[in-house]
Amino acid sequence: MSSIIEVKDVSFSYVPQSTILQDVSFCVKAGTFLSVAGPNGAGKTTLLNLLCGLLRPQAGSIVIDAAHIESYSVRRLAQKIAVVRQEFVPVFDFTVAEVVTMARTPYLGTFGFDGKTDREAVNQALEATDTAQFAMRPLKNLSGGERQRVFIARAFAQNTAIMLLDEPTSFLDLKHQVHIYDLLKAAQLEKGKTIVAITHDINLAAQYCDEILLLTGRRRAMQRPENGTEDPHSYFIGKAKDILSPAQIEDVFGVRVFTGKVGKENFFIPLGRFAKDSGQANSS
Amino acid sequence: MAEVLTARSLAIRILLCLAVLAVVMCLCALMGSQKVSLKKVLAGPGKSPGENIDYEILVGFRLPRVVLAVLVGAALASAGVVLQAILRNPLADPYILGISSGAGLGAITAVLSGATWSFWGGSPIAAFAFVGAIITVWLVWLIGRATGKSQITNLLLAGVVINAFLSAVIMFLTSIARSDQVYSTIFWLMGNITEKSLSVLGVSAGCILAGTIGLFGVSHRLNILSLGEQEAKGLGVDTVKTQIVAFALAAFITAIAVSLSGLVGFVGLVVPHGVRLVCGPDHRQLLPISAIIGGAFLVAADTLARIIVAPAQLPVGVITAIAGGPFFLVLLARYSRKISWLK
Repeated sequence: MSSIIEVKDVSFSYVPQSTILQDVSFCVKAGTFLSVAGPNGAGKTTLLNLLCGLLRPQAGSIVIDAAHIESYSVRRLAQKIAVVRQEFVPVFDFTVAEVVTMARTPYLGTFGFDGKTDREAVNQALEATDTAQFAMRPLKNLSGGERQRVFIARAFAQNTAIMLLDEPTSFLDLKHQVHIYDLLKAAQLEKGKTIVAITHDINLAAQYCDEILLLTGRRRAMQRPENGTEDPHSYFIGKAKDILSPAQIEDVFGVRVFTGKVGKENFFIPLGRFAKDSGQANSS
Repeated sequence: MAEVLTARSLAIRILLCLAVLAVVMCLCALMGSQKVSLKKVLAGPGKSPGENIDYEILVGFRLPRVVLAVLVGAALASAGVVLQAILRNPLADPYILGISSGAGLGAITAVLSGATWSFWGGSPIAAFAFVGAIITVWLVWLIGRATGKSQITNLLLAGVVINAFLSAVIMFLTSIARSDQVYSTIFWLMGNITEKSLSVLGVSAGCILAGTIGLFGVSHRLNILSLGEQEAKGLGVDTVKTQIVAFALAAFITAIAVSLSGLVGFVGLVVPHGVRLVCGPDHRQLLPISAIIGGAFLVAADTLARIIVAPAQLPVGVITAIAGGPFFLVLLARYSRKISWLK
């Protein structure tokens, strides 16, 4: 399987003295589910904005489907990549059907009227996400979980090979979190979509993703340390069971965890100072 | 399954609204301090001037004024729709980015300079107001785009600051002007529909129509842009290009409207809101229907301004403000629950 996303030596900073991402390199094969995790400020959303062309890397290169990201027009890139951001409510009172139909914008002509193909894509997306039932309701009248399903429906209707998601389950209860991840996994398995999802929930990530990219938030020194110590890793990438260990999580997130197993996968419960049975940390 | 706007359903709705506009125009043209008989008008012009006075009043005075009101109303309502979308602010109106104070400064400069020349049949006040409006909007755009990440916020702030500064300059100039000059300026600032030459009407109609059609061309992108710049880029919209085109065309037609009629308030705010409450927020529909309803609204307001204290006339801006507020409140109360008959 060929790589659909290639990130090579990418660095980015918003201000010169504070690098957010430094020399990040990884590849995502077509049809893979990649989770991106890491502490706040580690650069997860910045990475997503680089991958969707909203930001330009100051060093390194990003290749999407064998072409440099800079070579894409905004319209062509939107035919390759759909982005689902953290939940928001539009200023105006658009209905669910109108919001999902907006996904067809990269394919529409001058005056923006959709055709039969577009309507079919919208209806399929509404069906797949179980949102057809409230297609004519205003988006702002829906609950957080319903709204997030609508945005995923919009990404489906955009009919792209790649889906980028920024914390798609934040603010959702357990049932809706699982429902959203089931939808994404089904899209990966049944339609061959490449999914890159930022998440704070490493358990869901471990359960659903093929690979995890763990951004540590540490920056390498500009010059090699003189005392012989190694540069800190700014990221790790690999299979969840290889990347997510209690020691690694404590090291990156600064919190002890209780570890258990579900089937072959580890699960982690963070333990604070006042947590009950905190003595069982790392007991597995 | 999901129903969304089609070209056919939009065309039908636009034709229905145009029919309403035509009826309003005809009724308003027949109304006034001087009664006009439709039968006499249909008889055509007399062989000599003054023979068929009804025809001359209707065709020579009232129809051009009605057409002017349609143009100004359509331009202000269209610009209101566009600026509300670009700024993602339902309270935006065509004057929010300093265009009113720029035009006002141009107008008072024309009054104080005592210019009497005529440009293509237009008064010096109109020409100065147009130039003032365009220069001000250009300045606001340059300042707004020059700094920071949140360019929309900067654009709004630049508009507010320039509005405040130019308003202070207008107050200073008004305080040193003669009383007749002050009267002319204030009368202009209140907004007035007065008869204009056919050449002015023709050129203005061409410009406003072209501008509105251009805005219709970007209207589906305005839907996306109203979600925010990040969302819009993710959906394949060139946000900067769309903003520049929409902003420039909206400013251009507003400047023309202001130079034709002074500062007619409320149309650019109330009409888009009212139409949005009834038809929904899809800008492909909102823009053309707001333009037509804006025209009809201003024709009706101007007719009231003509007849309410006849034979004297009120500034139309007074009527739009007095009538627009309650009209909007009624709409808000009636349609705050979701309606479906126009969906």
